[in-house]
Amino acid sequence: MINALGLFLLLLTPRVAGPVNGPLHPVRAEVQDPEPLLVLAASSLQDVLPTVANAWREAGGGNVRFSFDATSRLAPQILRGAPADVFISADHEWMNWLREQDVVVASEIVNVAANRLVFVVPASADAPPRDLRALGARPTMRIAMAGENVPAGRYGTAALQAAGLWDVLEGRVVRGGSVRGTLEWVARGEVDGGVVYETDALAEPRVRLAFAFDENTYPPVVYPGAVIGRSERPAAARAFLDFMAGAEGAALFGAAGFQVGPPDFSVSNVTTATLPNPVSAVRLSFLVALAAVALGLVPAIGAGWLLARRDFPGRGLLSTVLLAPLVIPPVVTGFLLLSILGAQSPIGRALAAVGLSVPFTLLGATLAALVVGFPLYVVAVRGAFEVVDPHLEELSWTLGIPPRQTFLRVSLPLALPGIAAGALLAFARALGEFGATVVLAGNVEGQTRTIALAVYALLESPSGRGAIWVLVGASVVLSLAALMGFEALTRRQRRLLEDRRGR
Amino acid sequence: MDGNANLLEASVRLPLDAVELDVSIDTVSTAVAIVGPSGAGKSTLLRILAGVERRAQGTVRFRGETWQDSEKGVWMPPWKRGVGWVPQDELLFPHLSVSENLGYAGASDAAIDEMARLLSVDHLSSRRPRYLSGGERQRVALGRALLASPRILLLDEPFSALDRVLRREVVEKVSSLARDRSIPLVLVSHDETDAELMADERWILNGGVLTKEAAGR
Repeated sequence: MINALGLFLLLLTPRVAGPVNGPLHPVRAEVQDPEPLLVLAASSLQDVLPTVANAWREAGGGNVRFSFDATSRLAPQILRGAPADVFISADHEWMNWLREQDVVVASEIVNVAANRLVFVVPASADAPPRDLRALGARPTMRIAMAGENVPAGRYGTAALQAAGLWDVLEGRVVRGGSVRGTLEWVARGEVDGGVVYETDALAEPRVRLAFAFDENTYPPVVYPGAVIGRSERPAAARAFLDFMAGAEGAALFGAAGFQVGPPDFSVSNVTTATLPNPVSAVRLSFLVALAAVALGLVPAIGAGWLLARRDFPGRGLLSTVLLAPLVIPPVVTGFLLLSILGAQSPIGRALAAVGLSVPFTLLGATLAALVVGFPLYVVAVRGAFEVVDPHLEELSWTLGIPPRQTFLRVSLPLALPGIAAGALLAFARALGEFGATVVLAGNVEGQTRTIALAVYALLESPSGRGAIWVLVGASVVLSLAALMGFEALTRRQRRLLEDRRGR
Repeated sequence: MDGNANLLEASVRLPLDAVELDVSIDTVSTAVAIVGPSGAGKSTLLRILAGVERRAQGTVRFRGETWQDSEKGVWMPPWKRGVGWVPQDELLFPHLSVSENLGYAGASDAAIDEMARLLSVDHLSSRRPRYLSGGERQRVALGRALLASPRILLLDEPFSALDRVLRREVVEKVSSLARDRSIPLVLVSHDETDAELMADERWILNGGVLTKEAAGR
């Protein structure tokens, strides 16, 4: 049953077609090879692997194409039958998981490269911390890290724990999705620093390396590669793996800042990831959705009334702008919000000056939910005002009651059930918000990790599949309840407006 | 206020509806009935006088006071005109009870009770409009307009839903209430009986022009 759900969820994402729709970096063929090898690899390898593949082809090895993504997303895809030949993981655990599922064979796993964990700051930062101790002494620094199920996120936690700094720093850590996402936040100056791999730090000119972590304080960062059991061309796949792990490959990896990996894959158990707390996620979803609805109430009433009752220049434009988040991909909306409200924007700076920070905070999650839910809110409120007979307002005026009081005594009470219905609809939408939230507010446990984000985090964890059901159940029940409430309130407004039987 | 000035003067046009009205009621009579074929613009005239037809262009004067002069940009909003407008489909506030509808403009409880008794709707005071009959609704709408202390009553087919007996009774009550308070009354009706019962003068609206037909009673 759990597997069926996982498959269903994967079907919902375009990624199920992984190799086809994923971020492919095909290596152009000079000699047409009907079947290039398909390699699924951790996203931190996306700069170096095409170079290695070029060298491999020049050495007569044939064509290779790649699909790069977070290891935690690639491994489940492989289990579900992605037609790949080679998998290169960013850590032991996911490779072990595949080995336990008999998708790869332990003896066939080799380490192709290794990496180091470093602390980076934005290139413009003055006086970055020189070492871990200096980091601990800066209580206001906000630190970005990859998610706790992403290897880099786990390694970073381990390194900080080993240094005894975790308790001090935990509250300031912002979890991104992948290492690349973390790097982008640092590069944009949304955070004061971040924990990334050395190779990422070298590849991004907008960040500066502050210090490297002591390699004894976190599990070795190795990239184990393996031939996938169902590959139709195991010999070619094996040869490519050996090429990567061999002298030529090592030279190319080394040039890109990678270390040479330890020769053997050790079947060790590294730290188990912490799982998202479902109770906290449900509570947070409620809080965020309620706050979004409350914050949006007056604007929604104002905009809904304007659109229902007034004809003014720019009315069409206003309507279009307000409804746009309905059709713009939420991820894009989130990105635009981050550009407008982020730490580097004028508005973001002004907000920071009064102590309000939007990215990676509860406020950010609320704003993301509000902006994405606002179109439904406005449409419902506008509809609620439109069905109120404007002659009732006119009549109220002739009875000596000016428009503002007429609005409060006639229009608003008559539209109220419809407005409440709109609020419920926006609430339901806010509960399910994901795309804009993850970009603007990250995936911070207890701060911005709502139901949708918790489900996403759990999907990426080999051990989290059971806990998903609690959240899926809560999500479905809450959403359906909100929609039923919407229906009931809409009916109620229709009854309220009936001023004579049968009308 | 100049008592000798014409009661009402209106010279207005509504380009969109192809309505053009030239109206002058040169009397200080307490009650005037306007009759005319349907589509002559009787209801529109009342809407223009009440100030709720903002698309109308032209001038409107009440006893020498300018309510609208489009060329000079004068427009007195409806909430300052003091008109007791009872539109054709009564329009009670559906979320308010009968007594809340009656007291909408701010009358005292005693005045509300008295009006409800006078119009025989006192047994309905806590009911919502949707539970009223057509005749009950018309009486509540009339009472609500009267309780707003209007300077003029504009009644649009106000008795159409009342049976003959009740109609005579209500017409007499409303007429005497208006007379007692010196509220001039303009009644629009296609019903000869209403006009006869209530009005001192009968005017005919046809082709956008209002002409006095005959002296009443």
